[in-house]
Amino acid sequence: MRAVDPIELEIFKSIFVSIAEEMGVALCRSSFSPNIKERQDFSCAVFDENGGTVAQGDHLPVHLGAMPLSVLSVIQNVDLGPGDTAILNDPFRGGTHLPDITLVSPVYVKGRARPAYFAANRAHHSDVGGMSPGSMPLATEIYQEGVIIPPVKLVRAGRIDRNILDFVLANVRTPEEREGDLTAQLAANRIGQKRLLEITEKYGYPKTKSYMKHLQDYSERIMRQAIREIPDGEYRFLDYLDDDGVSRRPVRIQVAIHVRGDSAVVDFSGTDPQTEGSVNANYAITLSATMYVFRCIIRGDVPYNSGLLRPIRLIAPEGSVVNARPPAAVAGGNVETSQRITDVLLGALAKAVPERIPAASSGTMNNITFGGQHPATGRNFAYYETVGGGMGASPERDGLSGVHTHMTNTRNTPVEALEHYLPIRIKRYSLRRFSGGEGQFRGGDGIVREYEFLAPAKINILSERRVFPPYGLAGGKPGKKGKNLIRRGSKAISLGSKASFRVEKGDIVIVQTPGGGGYGKAKPKRGKQGDD
Amino acid sequence: MVRVGIDTGGTFTDFVFFSPTRMWIYKVLSTPRNPGEAIRRGLEEAGVLAEKLDVIHGSTVATNALLERKGANLGFLTTAGFEDLLEIGRQTRRELYNILVEKRNPLIPRHLCFGLKERTLSDGRILQPVEGSEVDGVIRKLKKAGVESIAICLLHSYANPANEEKVLRKLKPHGFSLSVSHRVLREYREFERASTTAINAYVAPLMERYLSRLEKELGEDSVHIMQSNGGCVSARGARDNPVCTILSGPAGGVVGAKEVAAAAGFSRIISFDMGGTSTDVSLCDREMATTTDSVISDLPLRLPIIDIHTVGSGGGSVAFIDRGGALRVGPQSAGADPGPICYGRGEDVTVTDANLILGRLDPDRFLGGAMKLYPERARLFMKRFARRLGLSVSELAEGIIRVADTTMERAIRVISVERGFDPRDFALLSFGGAGGMHACSLAQRLRIPTVVVPKNAGVLSALGMLLSDTIKDYSQSILKRAADVSLAELNGSFRPLLEQARQDLKKEGFEESRIRLLRFLDVRYIGQSYELTVPFLPSYRREFDRLHHRKYSYADEKRPVEVVNLRVKAIGLTKKPGLPEVESDGPDAGAARLCRRLMRFEGRDYQADVYARELLKAGNFLRGPALVLDYESTAVVGPGFVCRVDKHGNLIMTRQKQRR
Repeated sequence: MRAVDPIELEIFKSIFVSIAEEMGVALCRSSFSPNIKERQDFSCAVFDENGGTVAQGDHLPVHLGAMPLSVLSVIQNVDLGPGDTAILNDPFRGGTHLPDITLVSPVYVKGRARPAYFAANRAHHSDVGGMSPGSMPLATEIYQEGVIIPPVKLVRAGRIDRNILDFVLANVRTPEEREGDLTAQLAANRIGQKRLLEITEKYGYPKTKSYMKHLQDYSERIMRQAIREIPDGEYRFLDYLDDDGVSRRPVRIQVAIHVRGDSAVVDFSGTDPQTEGSVNANYAITLSATMYVFRCIIRGDVPYNSGLLRPIRLIAPEGSVVNARPPAAVAGGNVETSQRITDVLLGALAKAVPERIPAASSGTMNNITFGGQHPATGRNFAYYETVGGGMGASPERDGLSGVHTHMTNTRNTPVEALEHYLPIRIKRYSLRRFSGGEGQFRGGDGIVREYEFLAPAKINILSERRVFPPYGLAGGKPGKKGKNLIRRGSKAISLGSKASFRVEKGDIVIVQTPGGGGYGKAKPKRGKQGDD
Repeated sequence: MVRVGIDTGGTFTDFVFFSPTRMWIYKVLSTPRNPGEAIRRGLEEAGVLAEKLDVIHGSTVATNALLERKGANLGFLTTAGFEDLLEIGRQTRRELYNILVEKRNPLIPRHLCFGLKERTLSDGRILQPVEGSEVDGVIRKLKKAGVESIAICLLHSYANPANEEKVLRKLKPHGFSLSVSHRVLREYREFERASTTAINAYVAPLMERYLSRLEKELGEDSVHIMQSNGGCVSARGARDNPVCTILSGPAGGVVGAKEVAAAAGFSRIISFDMGGTSTDVSLCDREMATTTDSVISDLPLRLPIIDIHTVGSGGGSVAFIDRGGALRVGPQSAGADPGPICYGRGEDVTVTDANLILGRLDPDRFLGGAMKLYPERARLFMKRFARRLGLSVSELAEGIIRVADTTMERAIRVISVERGFDPRDFALLSFGGAGGMHACSLAQRLRIPTVVVPKNAGVLSALGMLLSDTIKDYSQSILKRAADVSLAELNGSFRPLLEQARQDLKKEGFEESRIRLLRFLDVRYIGQSYELTVPFLPSYRREFDRLHHRKYSYADEKRPVEVVNLRVKAIGLTKKPGLPEVESDGPDAGAARLCRRLMRFEGRDYQADVYARELLKAGNFLRGPALVLDYESTAVVGPGFVCRVDKHGNLIMTRQKQRR
């Protein structure tokens, strides 16, 4: 007697993954803010009755571990009836950082009093209020970062609760856009609910439910096989964040990975305590980065679900910068610290399986937010973007240049769109030559982006690797550190990793992003002639 | 005069001929190194070279040059500061979890990308004009590097092309092949415009040489080239915009499907083309669905092309158990060599082997009996495979088919449900070597009421080319709030596009009465960044809300909208031959029956009739399960389906209501 039919398993796998993808298509196409549409900073997933992920679209790694915690938080805090939908962004109750708003909708099947499954999605909103436009400020408390939404009902029995919505919208700078995005998020969940009901009708509830579990077991098996390929042992690595944006002190992040057979313990003990500035990661983010790295060592495709997590135990000391407690500011934890956590995890694994791990990539998302009043229309604007960098060289080849790496993969906004809508001119958007680390294989080059402001604005830069460069491996040189500058008239001032300031008309802000680390010792240059 | 549709495929070059008195088809082996050779040979062997010819040709020259990166030695001119525009792209990586990812292979090396100190603003103002002497310096470098073709894309040239025009004037006397962005694609989004322009420049010299040779052999003015927008264009037109010919082969198939279905009385169809390694699906809701959001070989191509979705599942797709214990089918394919197990040499179980085991192929009459199949060999290998899983051979075979069908069902959902269409409102038009074996089961899954398997399904692409109109697309970004631009102003803005379109079609040889100019707007809610295309009517705003609701399940009539692009689709109506009719007879198909054989569906065995397609007559009626054998394809009439033969010899299968 077979427990699981390999044919049904494949068919259900295809169905569940396609549901998450269909939700993503709907969200991406119908949302308003460029963050979601152009930059695709969102994730959609399907969950079982306990909040375990069944399938998640291949959207954004930084949301991987965080989505199930959102659903868990909703299950614990909100009694979702048929037609209800919960909303949340509280990083200490299922969220990551405030701009990421998650909607969770239950799916009820006939004859069951509790939700049978959940459909959920999360999207990065361009502004959720707080002390600066774009809601990625250099804050010292979460209360400064924007409106905090605990898990509450946004929709009751199919009707939006205007009290909740108006309350949220009253706290943000661009309420119309927010409302449009939330509508798109609701539409995405509706598609997930509809498809799950169709499947249940076709195959029956018991079978659908059991194949959710079989699919999680399937992913678990594949993860265990991947871990088994890593030699048993303890692998350590540490690296630093430049600073927390308040003090100039480096922040230490350290990991020990214990591999034994087909399971692993990932232990961040020894990591610095949480900081005053906003580089604090909550548990969800540390979990996401860990999941991402272990997902990368699996060759080929595998549905992303909670089964992948089972062979891995994560230890993140409470109150540390990788598991911060309230009221820590967390805006940068999601976008910057998550990258450094990835770097130390990969650095540790490089000691175990050096032939499979690349040198450090740029290690920062280079978050730029600005806002102000558009001189032509008099309307407020808030804008957020991230800038790519160099990818680390691998044991097999050079790293890519000018690309987003690891925890993010968001697209840029076309310069022609940016200049049409905002009082800004992009003077340069090019690769930063020779910023990739030397080596047998070269790290990829970073990017130079120059912004000329055509009206006064408030700007925030949240970046990393301006002090500690991305490491090389196996004798490869580190990538070049990044740099942030402001040019006013003939004067250029270096800004450091994190900065919050006002710009005047005519000011130019220059962001130079780090290159990737090199891999292997560079061969001595041959004396070539006649070659330009 | 003889009209000929010619489709150059990977293995065969297909010909469909229409003379005033008859229609016939022909096939020769392709000659990949010089595709023109197979064309000449086919025409010669068909004995038509003495006639006046009107050739419509689907060429793979541009597509292959791009896929294999064998195009022109290319230079790129852009605004200073943006030299790396094409390499940075949208700054994303293709594979999220591949940390050892391979480099994208750029069309243009870094040292041949040049920035010019010039600047246009988004409202069309010229902040800094182009300096002639700077261009001269670049020209010297381009010549020294042996560049033959140049792509030019300056920032905001869609708003005002003056700077691009100036660069063009400077370059013209020097003999380069030139592609300039405001002429290839006058739309905002610099990377997509630059990429489309670069593709054009990359394939232009090759296309030029190929077309010149073809014209020399067949006579000038007698060659038309199929485009990916579903229309054809003169060889001259194809030279100007060779990027329009990329992916034209599959487009021919969709046009063929649409025309054949229309003649059979179906205007809303889903075309389903299942071959050996992959399956193409597309949707026609009276008109062919087009998209401007495609990517080919890692490069965005923003021109309107027929919206075809491809999945790696075909007759040769290999079944295997993956490391997690799931039965996978494809995307690896046994291809033609070694091919499926039942062809005699392969050892990997494929979809074709599964179909054979289930009785959906006749081993003695494959390719009209020209090729022998080995069912006992397939059974032997499948038995080993099945035993490992604790399944019987037929359980495994049905499982493989179900997994493959799930993949194809998903593909059809992408082009229908995800675009806001209900598959139940459409007929499934199936072609390609393997399509007919899966069509009924897919129709059942998606509750599609009717399946059409056309006559001449093996040359549908060539037939489609023959039946295509001339189509040219024009667009221009305007990026204006609807509140700020009146209908009269929009009308005015359309005028230059319409003028250009009319002129071009006249040059293509169309008189006024055969020219149709259709106007569209790309519209979005303010703040969105994807547009929907709606016909330009006074009520365009309402049309937009309606379409938005259909596609995304909500609309907001009060939210202000923005008009992003103007579009003109210019159609030159060609004189199309009517499809030939077949001999008719009563419902009894007994005269076409060859034998009976065992077929298996959902765990049940059936004794099914096997028919010869060429012996079927219009009016014949078959009851499923049954098998209809054609020279190069097999059609399965599923249990619960009935099938009639229409006057053109198409098989029209309908699902009977009483069955689920």
